[in-house]
Amino acid sequence: MLDTVEKPAEDKSNRLGITRVGGQLISDYWEDLFTAREQGKQIVWYNGGALNPMFQAAGLAWCHGEAFAARLAAQRLEGPAQLAGAEYGYNAELCSYSRTHLGCSVLTLQGTEGDQTGVVGAHDQEVLAAKLPAPDFFVNNYAGCSTGQQWDGISYRVFGKKLPIFNISHPFLWGNKPDAGYLTGEEWEDASKFVAEQLRTLIGFLEQQTGRPFDYDALSESMTYIKRAAELRREGLDLCKAKPAPATFWDWIASVAPINFLPGDQALVDYFAAVRDEIQHRIDNGISAVKDERYRLYFDGIMNWNKLGFLSRKFAEYGVAVLAGRYIQNAFWQEPQLIDTTDPILGMAQHYLLCPTNHGAKTLEYLTLRDCEEYDLDGLVFHSTRTCRAFTGPQRLLAKSARDKLGIPSIFFEGDVADASFYKDGLLEGRLVAMLEAIDVRRRRGSLPAEFTGIA
Amino acid sequence: MTDASSAAMAKLVEVARDPRAYIQRWRSDHPDRPVLAILPMNFPRELALAVGALPVIVQDDQQPVTEGRALLAEFYCGYTRNLADQVATGRFEVYDALFSADHCIQLIGAADIVRSSKPDTTVFLGMFNSSMNDSWASTRVAEMMRRIRAELEVFTGKAVESDALRRSIAAYNTDRRLIRRLLDERSAGNAAFGPVELQDIITSSMVMDPGEHHALLAEAVAGQRSSERDDRVRVHLSGHLCHAPRRELLDVIEDSGTLVVDDDLYHGRRYASTDVAETGDPLAALGEWYARRNVTIPCPTRVQQDADWDGYLLRAVQGSGAEAVIHLMPKFCEPHMLYYPELRKRLDEANIPQLQIETEHEGIPLESFRTRIEALVERARRRRPAHA
Repeated sequence: MLDTVEKPAEDKSNRLGITRVGGQLISDYWEDLFTAREQGKQIVWYNGGALNPMFQAAGLAWCHGEAFAARLAAQRLEGPAQLAGAEYGYNAELCSYSRTHLGCSVLTLQGTEGDQTGVVGAHDQEVLAAKLPAPDFFVNNYAGCSTGQQWDGISYRVFGKKLPIFNISHPFLWGNKPDAGYLTGEEWEDASKFVAEQLRTLIGFLEQQTGRPFDYDALSESMTYIKRAAELRREGLDLCKAKPAPATFWDWIASVAPINFLPGDQALVDYFAAVRDEIQHRIDNGISAVKDERYRLYFDGIMNWNKLGFLSRKFAEYGVAVLAGRYIQNAFWQEPQLIDTTDPILGMAQHYLLCPTNHGAKTLEYLTLRDCEEYDLDGLVFHSTRTCRAFTGPQRLLAKSARDKLGIPSIFFEGDVADASFYKDGLLEGRLVAMLEAIDVRRRRGSLPAEFTGIA
Repeated sequence: MTDASSAAMAKLVEVARDPRAYIQRWRSDHPDRPVLAILPMNFPRELALAVGALPVIVQDDQQPVTEGRALLAEFYCGYTRNLADQVATGRFEVYDALFSADHCIQLIGAADIVRSSKPDTTVFLGMFNSSMNDSWASTRVAEMMRRIRAELEVFTGKAVESDALRRSIAAYNTDRRLIRRLLDERSAGNAAFGPVELQDIITSSMVMDPGEHHALLAEAVAGQRSSERDDRVRVHLSGHLCHAPRRELLDVIEDSGTLVVDDDLYHGRRYASTDVAETGDPLAALGEWYARRNVTIPCPTRVQQDADWDGYLLRAVQGSGAEAVIHLMPKFCEPHMLYYPELRKRLDEANIPQLQIETEHEGIPLESFRTRIEALVERARRRRPAHA
């Protein structure tokens, strides 16, 4: 049973208007993908890091598995795919991204082979499976999470082991050596070169699949747009350090899809320029993202996609501006200075390695505490993402570090990326209120109340 | 069984049930040599033994998770939560360092708990390429093998000598071969060793010095007589990729009218499946061993398009004459959850009865399992020819 209360009586959130434009770009992208077969394009399914510039340069249509699962969840259309996956045999505790996407694979195959099970109605199949064109081949680009690599290995099997598959392996940035650190050390340099070499091999694979020589100029052009968009995104993120905050984590969540998989082109740059400009306009005119901002928090976890609007309103109801999170500041072309647009391969490889689930806890502690300080945050909210072990693994360690080193409190609430049944609103509500009271006490006394040790 | 073989078996059981006691004894006998915590499933323990260390595959000690709950989410698998609890409660203190070579995000999460809780302890992750068909896989594995060797040399202050490594490889091979002989005999019809005894034999092998283990096992086996299978339904146990199923569950499985005739458990055939070549460059042989293990018995934690766990399972069932398969799936084990439908599909196509049991670290509903296993037994029995 879902445990979600109705939306707050007064909506105190003030989301960026420009994200509606982003929504239209995304919608247009999917509509284009859904008709890719009719357009005579080859289709690649991929997971993990943003390989779309490669596919764009190769003249392919691309479907990012997690993105499609997230889109279904955000539109509350994930049910039929998850049902189909469950009937096929996938356990409800399995990563809900993979479970939803594999359910789509099952539906897609049923749609093409006419093998109806009766579980999912014709209408649902029309809405979902018929819209997602079957792949011509797979590319896996998953860093950090072992499930990500296995997921495409299983997609390959679900499609009868008939389609080509290419895998890119990413060393986990564990930090064995004393010199290991964020963007530094022998381990980082070695891993970067290793992944870059694989990307060059991928190009050969793409040439083989398409029968065309790879267009390196097109890759440089695409990455030039993406680098500029990423720089604008970072500028916008930096502007959000202002008080009161002109935009929040939720606005940036709404802008994940554009930076993650939309084509690298002028429209992408224009979008992020407009995002930055709207934020600057708000600062210039004293417009805040949350009415009567009283608290500034960090959000750790992949987004609970079917609760985006709901959560933005819920936090705003208590005067909370959520400003930073591992999934925003530390993901999605977040270090654009690494990209050399004349030869972007190494910089791309490095960004794939910088997936926020591909670091040991030491590096994550550095990044999290850095962002908490830079955004002057009062506490952390950990989305204990039920089916994502990669993101949740270090969360308890991060909460402890924030308490021990910065003296700021944390709470945990349970939810999931694409399965609404795991979200427990009562837990979030009670724990959030308790933490905000603890923050009030800290402000008065200079330290947290002794009894508040974090609520898990 | 003779008195001597019974005593040898009792010692193996004792080690399997209380690895820490064995480690303490070993440490007092070898005061200058380190004890390494090794995480499953593919770390080349041969390298560690060659520098004089005792490489112990850390066992789920089956104690309830208490303080570890504050370190890892409750939806991590039971084994990793148990590891976190061992660290949190001081039960991990018997180890001098931790070494791991596997890319499982939950194992990595648990290793991070160790590193965070014991910041002065070496916690080394030498991750093997887990996508086995990558054209660069063998080169990367060979390179990582060299890094692991170097790290062990730094940690122990001793060089890995080729002869010592060859002796180490031979010692583990010898032990594996004897274990494998018992497993082969079981699948061929000998029911002398039950699943709990075999699990104890294998668990103790994961803990002990291989030479010492082999000597005890050889003694235990020497007094063992062959035993014919009885009329119970023959089952294959599949799953549990990195920790042992509970002994009480194995007991219930056989008490419910089945006879375990084969398995692909880590604490079973998977552990002993493959030997390391004893000729040529020993370091290269270890890399080849890693690759061949996944062909001998494919593991869903590896991605390999030309190695099918489902195909292996079907062949194993046909080879042992198993009449049904029981999938033992540890709750929250993602590779198993991902691959399970492929297993189910393949066995369904072959008309082989199967049952999935989701195992938890605590609170196993044994009586509920008994009912389900008995239903499986009935299904399998109905398939027997009328004259049987």
